[in-house]
Amino acid sequence: MKVKIFRWKAIGPLLLLFILLGILVWIFAEPVARQTAEEASSELLGTEVDVGKLDLLPRQASVELRALQIADPFVLTRNLIEADEIRLKLNPAALAEKKIVIENLSLHGMRFATTRKKPARPPSGKGFAPQVYQAVNQWAKQFDVPLLSLTPIDTIRQLALDPTQLTTIREAQSLLTRTDSVKKGLEQGFQQLNIESTLDSARALAQRLGATDPKKLGLDGTRQAIQSVQQSLKDVENAKKRIQALERNAQTAVQFLGQGVQGLDQARQKDFAFAKSLLKLPTFSAPEIGGALFGKVSIERFKQAAYWAELAQQYMPPGLLPRPTPGPNRLRAAGETIEFPKPKELPRFLLEQGQLDFSIGGTGPIQGAYTATVQGLTSTPALYGRPALITASRRAAGSALASIDVGAVLNHLTARTHDSASARLQGIKLPSFDLPGLPLRVDPGTGSSSLMFSMRNAGAELRGRWAIGSNKVSWIADSAGRRLNDIVRLVLRVVSGLNDLQVVAELSGSIASPKFSVSSNLDKAISQQLKAVIGEEVAKAERMVRAKVDSLVADKVEPVKRQVAAVQTGANQRIRAEKQRVDGVERSS
Amino acid sequence: MLALLKLIQSLIKTLHSAGTPGQVAAGMAFGSALGLTPLLSLHNVVIFSVLVLLNVSFGGGMLGWMLFVPVGFLLDPVFDKVGLSLLTAPSLRPLWTDWTNTPVLPYTDFNNTIILGSFVSWLVLAIPIFFAARYGVAKYRATIGERVRQSKAYKALTASQVYNVYKMFRP
Repeated sequence: MKVKIFRWKAIGPLLLLFILLGILVWIFAEPVARQTAEEASSELLGTEVDVGKLDLLPRQASVELRALQIADPFVLTRNLIEADEIRLKLNPAALAEKKIVIENLSLHGMRFATTRKKPARPPSGKGFAPQVYQAVNQWAKQFDVPLLSLTPIDTIRQLALDPTQLTTIREAQSLLTRTDSVKKGLEQGFQQLNIESTLDSARALAQRLGATDPKKLGLDGTRQAIQSVQQSLKDVENAKKRIQALERNAQTAVQFLGQGVQGLDQARQKDFAFAKSLLKLPTFSAPEIGGALFGKVSIERFKQAAYWAELAQQYMPPGLLPRPTPGPNRLRAAGETIEFPKPKELPRFLLEQGQLDFSIGGTGPIQGAYTATVQGLTSTPALYGRPALITASRRAAGSALASIDVGAVLNHLTARTHDSASARLQGIKLPSFDLPGLPLRVDPGTGSSSLMFSMRNAGAELRGRWAIGSNKVSWIADSAGRRLNDIVRLVLRVVSGLNDLQVVAELSGSIASPKFSVSSNLDKAISQQLKAVIGEEVAKAERMVRAKVDSLVADKVEPVKRQVAAVQTGANQRIRAEKQRVDGVERSS
Repeated sequence: MLALLKLIQSLIKTLHSAGTPGQVAAGMAFGSALGLTPLLSLHNVVIFSVLVLLNVSFGGGMLGWMLFVPVGFLLDPVFDKVGLSLLTAPSLRPLWTDWTNTPVLPYTDFNNTIILGSFVSWLVLAIPIFFAARYGVAKYRATIGERVRQSKAYKALTASQVYNVYKMFRP
């Protein structure tokens, strides 16, 4: 009997099934693609991305998106970018290889920093972007932004200080224990020296030989005498070595105690600072005032720059080595998806050329048509071979008073990565912000703002500079229902008299250990005024703090210092005495 | 409960179909791919087409699918390890590099550890599954098969409309 291999009658139903599936894909492709695009881009950027409508245009190998909103991950009620229409022209050959190569991107009706109708979802989950979001928030917290203290000087009456809170006292007790154990250790060391018997036998030998006539010793006697002298000299040499070893140990121990005493002085400085903080003395150091007033707002700018730079590091890795990424979300385990870049082939994602048109309306000097270009944004820079470039500027010549110039270069061609971005905005309306510690909001009005951020070698080198300048500042006091003290009133008077504002914040170092500084004309003016008015009072209060701390710690610290000095002196004296004894015996023998 | 009922129904229908034990076993071996590997994958379209077009038991295929779905979930950690070791083997890197840069082939998602691991594991397990199923079906038919066929429950099942549709695809 002939065995049938194929079931020919099933071809019809199978084709029908595929046609049905094709129709379903045709019907649901656009909503599914829209949802997938939203989900994928939200996960990639770590912020909510909404797409109003997505049209697939297969004949033109294009995709059209409408009403795109990308939320600001740091301000959930605001959109970073909103665009009316985006058209992506895709490379069909790349699509056959499951690669997204955007030959041309055109974006129209772009707006920045628009208010969202509904707040965006906060970044969450276990993806890379939420992790970076948390990491940069942690990173920003490490900056020690001082608090502006403007406590009225007349409220400083007395200082209630609990001695157990003082580091000096704890350190002194600890040093006392260490001194005791060093003393015991040295005592044991001296006992274990055991040089008495060596010295006695050396002296006895010297006396015996001194009383003996060498001529009567004979050959054996002479040989024995020489051996005895050699042995005695060897014993003395060993005793000297033991003393030297003990001397080294004693010096180390003495140094250790000396460091402890220095530590007590440092601890006392800390206690002064702590006690001073309890009094909440007004700050009039300009760097501290600058940090307190503009530290938070400046760090916020650098934090956002660091977030995007970290994402670029992850999504645009250098080199062509296979790289694993988490697999897709599904009921089954996601696993890992490994990319295998191939030289001279297309990368998995590439935006070859993007043209972004946007306009700023109104009658201000900044109004006009602008254009931005994006080139070479890719998942595998080594395949593309050129750094990614982003620029934005006015399309046509406009007012000389106002301009927007944005430029960014992302160079991830090799492991020595270098990302740099700069934005210079002139003649724009700067956003207002609160001044921490003061019932005041700054409205810088129209002015200039610039941000430069550069990161080399995955954060090993970091440089940032944020500056704002305006000569039309207005100050909005929020003192309703609040009683302001004299110092706050003084600061408000100083600040309100200023028409211009110049703030410069700088960042350097590395991601792991950044250095931050901020200065402004405001802090200098406040500092000068405060120094003139309350400088003497603050100095008096500081003297009171010092006296209080000194009185509490003196009876604990001084005995410890004396004991340390006694141990140090005792150890040195005994070592010197032992050395002299050995030297004496050596000379006599 | 319904899924369990359907599984029993499918099991009984398949075991008593006109197909030979070999045809049922081959169907189960192909169907197990649908259960062991993530369902929505390109290779499963091919396997499903093969299951329909080849003269093997379609019911066996569905039975294999249902039986191996939980096994697939359970073995995901193993598949992940198998897939990872294959994808990270230096000697196979040129193969995967070419595979993922050749038109259409990247849509197989064989650069995913679970998909590759489960597919390769299925390839290895398909032959034992075939022989074990063929032995089991033959043994069943030779022992209690006839008694089940005479039972009222079986007769009620075969009299249903669903069974008529099913008969279209039986070997």
